[in-house]
Amino acid sequence: MSYFADKQPLVADIFSRYPDSPQGRRSALMPLIREVQDAEGFVNGTRLDEIAALCGTTATEVRSVMSFYSTYHTLPTGKYHLQVCSTVMCSLAGSDELWDHLVETLDVQPGEVSPDGRFSLQKVECLGSCGTAPLMQINDDGYYERVTPGKCARILDSLRADLQPLPDNPVPVTVNAEGRQTLANGEVVGASITGLGQLPPIFPGGEA
Amino acid sequence: MKVQVDGVEIELAAGTSAIDAVFEAGGDVPYFCAHKYLSPVGACRMCLVETGSPRKEKDGSFVLDDATGQPKIFWFPKPMASCTMQATEGMHIKTARSSEVVAKAQAGMMEFTLLNHPLDCPTCDKGGACELQDRAFEYGYGASRFGFDRRHADKHYPLSDFVILDQERCIHCKRCVRYFEEVPGQEVLDFIERGGHTFIDTEEGGLPTGFQGNITDICPVGALLDNVARFRGRNWEYDHTPTTCTLCSVGCSITVDARNGRLERIVARENREVNEAWICDAGRFGHAFASERRLTVPLVRVDGELQEVSWDVAIAAIRHGMARHSVADLALYLNADSTLEEGVALEALADAVGSVHVDHWPRYEVSLDAMPNGAATLSDVATADAVVVIGADLGEEAPILELRILEMLRGGILPPEYAHGTAIADLRLVERPARKPEKLAVIGKESRLWAHAGIRASSNGHNALERLSRPDTAELQAALKLLTDSEKAIIVLGADVLNGASGSFAAQLSDLATRTGAKVLAIPAGANSKGLAALNLVPREGGLPFARVAEAPAAFISRLDPGVRARGLTIVHDSHLTATARLADVVLPAVTNYEKRGTTVNLEGRLLELEQAALSAGEAADLIRTLTAVSEALGLRAPVRGLKGARELAAQKLGIKLGELPERGVVHPFRTSHVAPTEQVHIPKLWTERMQPSIQTLIPANLQPLPMLGAAPVGGDD
Ligand code: SF4
Ligand code: SF4
Ligand code: FES
Ligand code: FES
Repeated sequence: MSYFADKQPLVADIFSRYPDSPQGRRSALMPLIREVQDAEGFVNGTRLDEIAALCGTTATEVRSVMSFYSTYHTLPTGKYHLQVCSTVMCSLAGSDELWDHLVETLDVQPGEVSPDGRFSLQKVECLGSCGTAPLMQINDDGYYERVTPGKCARILDSLRADLQPLPDNPVPVTVNAEGRQTLANGEVVGASITGLGQLPPIFPGGEA
Repeated sequence: MKVQVDGVEIELAAGTSAIDAVFEAGGDVPYFCAHKYLSPVGACRMCLVETGSPRKEKDGSFVLDDATGQPKIFWFPKPMASCTMQATEGMHIKTARSSEVVAKAQAGMMEFTLLNHPLDCPTCDKGGACELQDRAFEYGYGASRFGFDRRHADKHYPLSDFVILDQERCIHCKRCVRYFEEVPGQEVLDFIERGGHTFIDTEEGGLPTGFQGNITDICPVGALLDNVARFRGRNWEYDHTPTTCTLCSVGCSITVDARNGRLERIVARENREVNEAWICDAGRFGHAFASERRLTVPLVRVDGELQEVSWDVAIAAIRHGMARHSVADLALYLNADSTLEEGVALEALADAVGSVHVDHWPRYEVSLDAMPNGAATLSDVATADAVVVIGADLGEEAPILELRILEMLRGGILPPEYAHGTAIADLRLVERPARKPEKLAVIGKESRLWAHAGIRASSNGHNALERLSRPDTAELQAALKLLTDSEKAIIVLGADVLNGASGSFAAQLSDLATRTGAKVLAIPAGANSKGLAALNLVPREGGLPFARVAEAPAAFISRLDPGVRARGLTIVHDSHLTATARLADVVLPAVTNYEKRGTTVNLEGRLLELEQAALSAGEAADLIRTLTAVSEALGLRAPVRGLKGARELAAQKLGIKLGELPERGVVHPFRTSHVAPTEQVHIPKLWTERMQPSIQTLIPANLQPLPMLGAAPVGGDD
């Protein structure tokens, strides 16, 4: 069953962001993968072929690009995909224990989904919030900071009841529906062909 | 352009890369990712050098060094990868020879590359011929400070039936990935994961057949291995014989590796003019027949059964069998992959006995020598600005020609040549090259090349040329326009049009070539058809073509398998007990083309040499020696005895000097001397059953299970 067959306007919109050339078509790879992953939690098998066909490349290339990023998944993920920071600061602050605890209590290993379909786990590198270690991110929803054993238990209980607590902070930069990177406050960051004109003016007196 | 390498000034052509500058100056730089026929990408960081250039003032004069008054050299702050750097006027380059920084950087890179390398050289097939091994010895520290566990990954990961990947050994040079993208144009391999976890894999369920084996040649380490040859010998145990592949008419340069008299491996040998650095999978993997079920002694039918005998007995049997015939009754047929020398010998014998039944097979019955605009070479194809392929399935007829056409589509950039050989890094070659499919038209049946062609027209072979001359569809019109509008167009003709082609075909073709200015490249039916056609090896007045061997009063059939016998005495000369051999009265053992010395002529008309690999073939003999024996049986003195005699005769008849040809061969304008009806259709087929590696090759029948330690005692010993 094709994913994009009934989403032609969306596909057209994504391709419209890139030059109309073979190389340009390949550039649409990332948003197409993101689209499928957001909807299905992972991208694999026939989906790889479908994206490859759209971009004019091969499934091998799609998998190669996906595997470069830890944020794309080729295996199914749970309703709540818990990403535990395992870099030094968090590790010093107890993220290793947090990880072991999660693996034990949820009874899932990385790459697995708990039988009720709720939980999957992933170790990630520094999320840039070392000051509030140990840190956990749930899906793309936000950061859960200073996750102590007690806080962890509370979060898990709420998740089991499908009442996800609000994150302590949103993920700093996300990609909006137009494919632009935005800050949590909605401010557009990064550059794109269309967005170049919106860059803040260079301050007078600064070195060019 | 003047460049200084380690203090020595040399003169270089513009566009030379820094790495080639160093080699041109007689220096050395270690490298892993650069490859002569692939784009330089700077992936391995082994080729580091220090470089600096003079700078100019605004007025165009050089910034001078106050101390010396010479132009001041502005050095890059760090060592640079020389493979991706262009040498420029006045540039200074320092290699490890003169720079300690470079020596240390390279040793450090080597240590880094070896961090995760398993160092299983003692069991690695690449050992002794490994770029990593050599370079580690030359440029490494000789010790590692890495005291942790190395990466462990799959050591026997089959990418296909023919190519096995050892993921631990891969050093991520990306040669294999670039090869598939750039050469056959199939993006089927790529890096998966990143950093120390990176490995090579495909998501396409295997590697495409055709040209996959080449990655086993270019992998600088033992990560990608030829499964047919895997674990069959160490590099220093092989007898390496440089020779020419005669499975098709391209005539790729190959090296045949034999051990203990068995052919274990075939690898590509560079020939800039023919196959560059590539060969096809059939040529590489399809050699099982050379060492399997060979006929090693003559056989003679006694009381209805074939029995092993000596050559003397076989000769006596022929003499006895011929008693009922006149010598002129003996039909003489040979395979069109026989050498020119063998052809000369057979022609001379036919003349001597007065036989009219002479033929070589496969061949076509048309001569296309007299085309306007001259003969096309493979380099012409690669640098053409348009190619029209008519009625050819290149995968079966001339695989490397397909690669040369694809080379044309990506710009036809032939790397320059230096004293040290082909450029190691030609900076004009780029990753993911833009291709120009509109320069290729394919007319005929669907084939692998279709996918790359901008113009495709389905057509039957017999009228394809006629339809192209007077196009009746938009596609054919486009193809004709492509030919007319281009300066250096080539028309490639294959079996579908050449089968049954006649004199009027040649006239039509020559007319088209004149009109469009295109050169013509007709793919010969057999590996040496082009050379043998210059001899009188077709049925003479009243003679029977090979298709009618069954009607011949008596026949000598060399390495052909029609599956029938002649009416009378049937002598088969073959390397294997073929269906025809089973029907024969006398079977004489033949050597394969891997065990011959001689000359073959490829589709360009290029003379290429065959050398004799060290294979055990018992009492098998080539055609020249066999014909000497047959002559003896016929009571004649053989007109040609041995290679030297054949070469002398060839010099007389064809005016060419054979033997001691340059490694790349020489193109000679061959003329088809005689044409005659073939009365059968040639269906090109590259892979034949006997070429498939049998399971016995992969797992020897006499394999004994190794004695194994019994199950570990309960409780263990830890
Ligand atoms: S498998 Fe060999 S050729 Fe391919 S990237 Fe690894 S080392 Fe290079
Ligand atoms: S292309 Fe022809 S000559 Fe070259 S390796 Fe293949 S079969 Fe042999
Ligand atoms: S180390 Fe965990 S957020 Fe930086
Ligand atoms: S970086 Fe690999 S050869 Fe230059």
